[in-house]
Amino acid sequence: MLAGSVFFYLVLIGHIRHMKHQQLQLKQTNFWTAYSHDTVKVPTALTGEYNIIPGEIQGDIESDSANLAYMRQTHPLNGRPYIVTTYISAKEYRHLLIKVGISEAVIFVVLLIAIVVVNRSSSRRLWTPFYSTMSAIGDYDIRQNKVLSLNASTGIEEFDRLNHTLLALIDNVNQAYRNQKQFTENASHELQTPLAIIRSKVELLTESPGLNEDTAQLLQEINEANERLSQMNKNLLLLTKIENGQFPDATTIDLSQLVQRLIQFFKEYYENEGVNTTITLEPAVQITANPALIEILVNNLLRNAYIHNIPNGWVMVRLTQTALTIENSGPPIEGDPSRLFDRFRKGRVDNRTTGLGLALVKQIAQLYQYDIRYTYVEGVHQLQLSFPGA
Amino acid sequence: MKLLVVEDEPSLLNSITRYFRQEQFLCEGVSTYNDALQRMEDTQYDCIILDINLPGGSGLQLLKYLREDKKKDGVIILSARDSLDDKIIGLDYGADDYLTKPFHLPELSARVKALLRRKYLDGNTTLDVGILRVDLAARSVTTAGQPIPLSRIEYDLLLFLVTNKNRVVSRQAIAEHLYDGPTDQAPGPEFVYSHIKNLKKKLKEKGCPEIIQSVYGLGYKLVV
Repeated sequence: MLAGSVFFYLVLIGHIRHMKHQQLQLKQTNFWTAYSHDTVKVPTALTGEYNIIPGEIQGDIESDSANLAYMRQTHPLNGRPYIVTTYISAKEYRHLLIKVGISEAVIFVVLLIAIVVVNRSSSRRLWTPFYSTMSAIGDYDIRQNKVLSLNASTGIEEFDRLNHTLLALIDNVNQAYRNQKQFTENASHELQTPLAIIRSKVELLTESPGLNEDTAQLLQEINEANERLSQMNKNLLLLTKIENGQFPDATTIDLSQLVQRLIQFFKEYYENEGVNTTITLEPAVQITANPALIEILVNNLLRNAYIHNIPNGWVMVRLTQTALTIENSGPPIEGDPSRLFDRFRKGRVDNRTTGLGLALVKQIAQLYQYDIRYTYVEGVHQLQLSFPGA
Repeated sequence: MKLLVVEDEPSLLNSITRYFRQEQFLCEGVSTYNDALQRMEDTQYDCIILDINLPGGSGLQLLKYLREDKKKDGVIILSARDSLDDKIIGLDYGADDYLTKPFHLPELSARVKALLRRKYLDGNTTLDVGILRVDLAARSVTTAGQPIPLSRIEYDLLLFLVTNKNRVVSRQAIAEHLYDGPTDQAPGPEFVYSHIKNLKKKLKEKGCPEIIQSVYGLGYKLVV
């Protein structure tokens, strides 16, 4: 459009110049003809029109000055040259050019604005389905297992195709994800049965009459290995379920009561080893979470405190509105404390634990955004679990 | 006492039936839904041990039919799934107890016997085993009229051994039985022996002979 306007303007300038030339030339011809026929009656000059003086110039001159445009040519009369200058008013032409220029500029700007505005608003309407698709996809989280809903008939063929393709893609991905989750769970369940079989056969063997010290020893070792397998399998299943978000039901739990109940058992169970237990629980500390998971969390922490202890050692449990702190005496762990909560990482070589106990703790804590801090200072293990914004 | 075991895994079915036959139960075993249905229709059992994950039909369905027919057979559900929902559903459908796999045979045995006690001995809540008398309601033990002071854990331990008398009970089975907390998170059996030691001491103090024996480190047996 710009090019067109400029072109038009240039053509107009050219044409005006031509017109001026034609006018001046016409006047040259007319006035010289008139003068040369009657040099007495026709004056040698007329203001604003022409001017005739004897003389000669080289070539033609055509120019603008102030409000006039003039042309100067040499014409011969009776063998003597005369310089004829004709004038026309250049004012009108100039004004015309200016007015056209301004009009063009205004039209150009107005059109430009109109185009931009119309373009924007129609573009917005046009692209609405696209943006809504983008927003729907942006919000989609495969782990929440929700259905993605996209409008399949937006009225615009390209977007319809886009939406269809996306829905099909998400469907496939969901399927693959579900299969993956299912596989781990299924594998774990499948393992339960052979584990149960082994355990039952060993138990029957312990009843068999031919049992002696040797065979009993062998059976005991089979038993222990089987127990570890069994425990590992159960823990793995649990970890998978937590990762898969299969424990959504959160209710209000009286944590004080829960800790009291669990620690009562541990206290009695390990009493005979001379482990001294101190319990300080603020009453009615409440949290919102899945009760089964919290039991496992607290249970594993307590168990660790008692197992990784020394004879005649001690365990201290303190519960406040903001944190659960468990301290215990015990030998130092080997390795990097920050890796303690990784799966299968154990602080000491101790085949009583599978190394998954703390991984479970970490997983559950992460689920509810509890902060875990572990330190070992001067023979004292301390583990603190902080509740968010309690 | 008549038992029916419904379990599709043959190896496991054999273990269970064999164990209970050793305990002088009349024990039958079936491994399919239809066979189970047949047996249940034909006979009245004192206790049915029912695996709910059966091919060809859910064990829960069998339970439903049983209860709809107003049958009074005791039912203990075995399940490979440790879901709380399954447990609640099972008990809702009319099961008397619920045990997850893998389980210890002595534990299953103790549950069956507890169920039978509830069914047939209501009113009578004492158990006489050798020179021991266990008052199940009061959770106390006496010998020759003398009360034996036991901690909660020691009582549970003794009752477990008594219920499985003359059978070897592994330390793991004991640990899991004594445990009162989230399933599958029981502490190890490493300190069972110290509780056994205390229990023996207390029994001895009250004049009991040595009835608790250690079996080659595999477990313990209460002998009468």
